[in-house]
Amino acid sequence: MTTEELKNVNVVKSVDARGTSCPGPLLEAKKAIGTIKDGDIMEILSADEGTKVDIPKWCTKQGHEYLGTIEESGYFRIFMKKK
Amino acid sequence: MCLALYTGSVDKLTAAGIILGGAAADDMIVDIYVLLQGARAFRKDIGDNADKLQMAENPGLKAEFMESLKNLKVKTWVEFFKEAKEITDVKIHICGLAGKVWGGEKLDDFINLADDICGIGAYITSAQEADVNLFI
Repeated sequence: MTTEELKNVNVVKSVDARGTSCPGPLLEAKKAIGTIKDGDIMEILSADEGTKVDIPKWCTKQGHEYLGTIEESGYFRIFMKKK
Repeated sequence: MCLALYTGSVDKLTAAGIILGGAAADDMIVDIYVLLQGARAFRKDIGDNADKLQMAENPGLKAEFMESLKNLKVKTWVEFFKEAKEITDVKIHICGLAGKVWGGEKLDDFINLADDICGIGAYITSAQEADVNLFI
C-alpha cells in the first residue's frame, strides 16, 4: 500500500512499542494480535530499526498480511492485517 | 528449537534471551539444556544478579555494556526467559552433572524457571529431533 493509503486505513489496534528494544516490539505485536479479529488492521509503533524488517517476516511466517511502513520522525508505523 | 546453553556469562545469556524472544514470537517449541557454566547462572543466588556474572567477551567493558542495556530498557536475561515461557512452550532442563558442579542437586536449588534435571541423553535426543539447533 502507498503511504497515503496507509494513512487512511482503519486501524483497530495501535501498539506503542517505542519504549522497547528488540525483541520488544515483536513480542508486543505477538501479544496484541490475539486481541483483534481476523481482517482487523493493527499498527506497531517502534523506534527500533530492526522492527521494520522483523514484522514483515513475522507476518509471512504467521500468515498475516504486511501492509507497509510509514517512517515518522524518530519512529516507524508498521501496518499489518490479521488473517 | 533445541538450545544447548553452556554459557554462564551475562552477555551471552542476554543474547540467548533475545533469541528466545524471537522464537516465542514464532510460537516455536523450545527445549533448553543448561550445561556446565550455564547451571551456575541458574542457581538461586545468582540468576540475574549481574554483579555475580562475568562477561564472555570484552570483560573490561562490562560496566559500559550493563549501562547501555539499562538505557535501552533491555530486559535481564531472566526476564527474557520468563517472558518466553509465558508466550510459548519453553522447557528448561538442567544437566544433572552441571548442577552438581555448582552445588545444585535438586530442582529447588535453581531459579523457578527450570523444569527438570536431566542427563545428556535427553539433550542428544532433543537435538536429533529439532529443526533448529543452537549452542551458546
